[in-house]
Amino acid sequence: MKKKTLFNYALILSLVLLAQAAWADTPITNWLQDPATPLARNVRDTFWFTIMMIMPFFLIAEGLLLYSVFKFRTKPGSKPATFHENVRLEIIWTLLPALTLIIIAIPAYGTLKRMEVPPQSDLVIEVVGHQFFWEYRYPKYDIVLVDKPLVVPVNKVITLNLTSVDVIHSWFVPAFGVKQDATPGRISNAWFQVLEEGTYKGQCAELCGELHAKMYITVKVVDQEDFEEWLAKQKVQSPPKLQTGASSS
Amino acid sequence: MNHKVSFWDRVKDWITTTDHKKIGIMYLWLSLFVAIFGGAFAGLIRAQLSTPDGQILSPILYNQMLSMHGTLMIFFVIIPALVGFGNYLVPIQIGARDMAFPKLNAFTFWILIPAALLMFGSFFVKGGTLQAGWTGYPPLTAKEFSGSPGVDMWIFGLHLAGVSSILGAINFIVTIINMRAPGMNLFKMPLLTWTWLVNASIMLVATPVLAGAISMVLTDRMLGTGFFRPAEGGDPILYQHLFWFYSHPAVYIMMLPGMGLVSMVLPAFARKKIFGYKGLVYATAGIGIIGFMVWGHHMFSTGIDPKLRMYFAFMTMIIAVPTGVKIFSWLATVWGGTIRFTTAMKFGLGFIALFIIGGMTGVTLAVIPFDVQVHDTYYVVAHLHYVLFGGSVMTILAGLFFYFPKFSGRVMSEKLGNLTFWFIFIGMNTTFLPMHWLGIMGMARRISSYPERPEFAFINQIETFGYVLILAGGILLLYNMFATLRKPRHAPADPWEINDIQEVLEWKVSSPPPPENFKTIPVIS
Repeated sequence: MKKKTLFNYALILSLVLLAQAAWADTPITNWLQDPATPLARNVRDTFWFTIMMIMPFFLIAEGLLLYSVFKFRTKPGSKPATFHENVRLEIIWTLLPALTLIIIAIPAYGTLKRMEVPPQSDLVIEVVGHQFFWEYRYPKYDIVLVDKPLVVPVNKVITLNLTSVDVIHSWFVPAFGVKQDATPGRISNAWFQVLEEGTYKGQCAELCGELHAKMYITVKVVDQEDFEEWLAKQKVQSPPKLQTGASSS
Repeated sequence: MNHKVSFWDRVKDWITTTDHKKIGIMYLWLSLFVAIFGGAFAGLIRAQLSTPDGQILSPILYNQMLSMHGTLMIFFVIIPALVGFGNYLVPIQIGARDMAFPKLNAFTFWILIPAALLMFGSFFVKGGTLQAGWTGYPPLTAKEFSGSPGVDMWIFGLHLAGVSSILGAINFIVTIINMRAPGMNLFKMPLLTWTWLVNASIMLVATPVLAGAISMVLTDRMLGTGFFRPAEGGDPILYQHLFWFYSHPAVYIMMLPGMGLVSMVLPAFARKKIFGYKGLVYATAGIGIIGFMVWGHHMFSTGIDPKLRMYFAFMTMIIAVPTGVKIFSWLATVWGGTIRFTTAMKFGLGFIALFIIGGMTGVTLAVIPFDVQVHDTYYVVAHLHYVLFGGSVMTILAGLFFYFPKFSGRVMSEKLGNLTFWFIFIGMNTTFLPMHWLGIMGMARRISSYPERPEFAFINQIETFGYVLILAGGILLLYNMFATLRKPRHAPADPWEINDIQEVLEWKVSSPPPPENFKTIPVIS
């Protein structure tokens, strides 16, 4: 029995290591390994802080369980203890987690405020979800992109106004720390400020129908010069404005 | 004299019975039967995901599988199984001869049959069944996007299951309040009965809201109303509020009775009284009440008011406190005991080990910035399976091995039971633990393929292997049950020899208990 339990935990541990090994090889950026925006860094810090706060409770609880399993097995002649209440102990294990949770909540609220209150916007982009592609509009430049990568300048504060023309979609780019539902009839907001140039990937995160899995998001983050060059190219092409019936704020 | 009872007489007896014990057993059979399908759907999902560009299911069929896996497992497997245990045990535990309304009790079971038929039937109509996930969010369930009558059948099926829940809840509450034997005051009730009192209250308050929400979807689809249609001035977010007002408490509907079962199993095999009985009762009631104040944490990425989000996040953290009280009380119950490692006890201890993980990831999900990152990713899938599989299913299996001798008069093989436990425990962790990493890496849930993210494939293959282990455990369990049921009855009233520790009535009556349970109503001193 003891051997089996040990074997089991060894298996779990090796799985954890395997998962980490697989993760280390991945080329894709994500918010935990390579947060690309200040917000994603905040999210990562909040996450590690939360994990550190709850880890003692996790280890104590699982440790006590494991200890009991090995220590208190029935043997011939062994007698069970008879205690079945201890008010002081019960008060401690009610108050201590409660206190910890309050400590966890405070920095989380700080990060929430940073999510909700963007700095002065440099570029507003309207994001419209469709089954099964994204439409991006740059009202300032009169550009409409349909089912094409979003192109934004690096280090600039980009604010998104999101909506949808059919079902609920969700604009999710892990490395940016952004996930925001695009709901028909509503306009929701998100913002990001990417610190490094590159191509970032994401996908729709709200089940939206048959091709939900294929509703990718690609964001190309370029420097200001390249962005202006790209803008000039778009203006020459001047695509017709798409009639969608969605409220364009 | 042993009369030969014909097969049809026996069938007629089961169909017309109002005996709470027989009804409870029928609930358990229904749950087991549907679990085979729910489990098979999960197998197809895992097979599809074991390669980045799985071709086993079409995207439509994949969406149907994940929708019906969720619906069936929640409404037709976990809840009926727990209701089955409650139905069988609560009247005995309080010293009653039956539920307060025996005919209503039969009705609440039998109405689940057409409900299940509607669910299964919805696969065979034109356009197939629901494809919008078990949450059924409009506008995806609106007529324009899901024209199939299968969605209407899904709604009617849930309606019938809801009627069953509401009537059953009334029956449980009335039974527990009115039918207790003399001397059985509230704070003498066994914890399983306590969890049922709280649980039935949750069901009674929450279920009508779900019925209302899906009725609005139905009238939007059929009568042209505009509750959730933006073009008519409706709001899809309203549905999410209504849906989660039921479906978050539903998590506790699936947890509390299981916690009650574990609170019976742990003291029995640790040979100790349950630690902190009153604390556990208050924690149960606390979870029941706070459970209604946290639904918004399912909606952190929808863009609801940040102040509202702060409130929901705070309440979600608060609910971890009574949950923690329960875990610590169970740990203190086994602490210092003399533990007998029966299969039931292993499932009970395994439940604690897994539920701690589910609870911890639950706290991380209350942290809004993190929740937004992993919402609708595999991290949430991992969390919910640690709660519903590691929590509910483990408690159900603990209860099954513990009460099987009481229900059938036969003890299941402990040898096979031991194997079952290890297959399921290891398989469960192999399947669901790696999902935490997938979610953090950014794998969205409910996707039928991930050709652009081949790096997810390796972890997905490990998970599919885990499914095979769980499946092996399930098959062993079925074999164990059917092989045991072929043996003659021999179990004594108290097969686990725990009567001296647990002052509960179910171990004082024969196995299985006689019709009407008690010749004379016991008086509790």
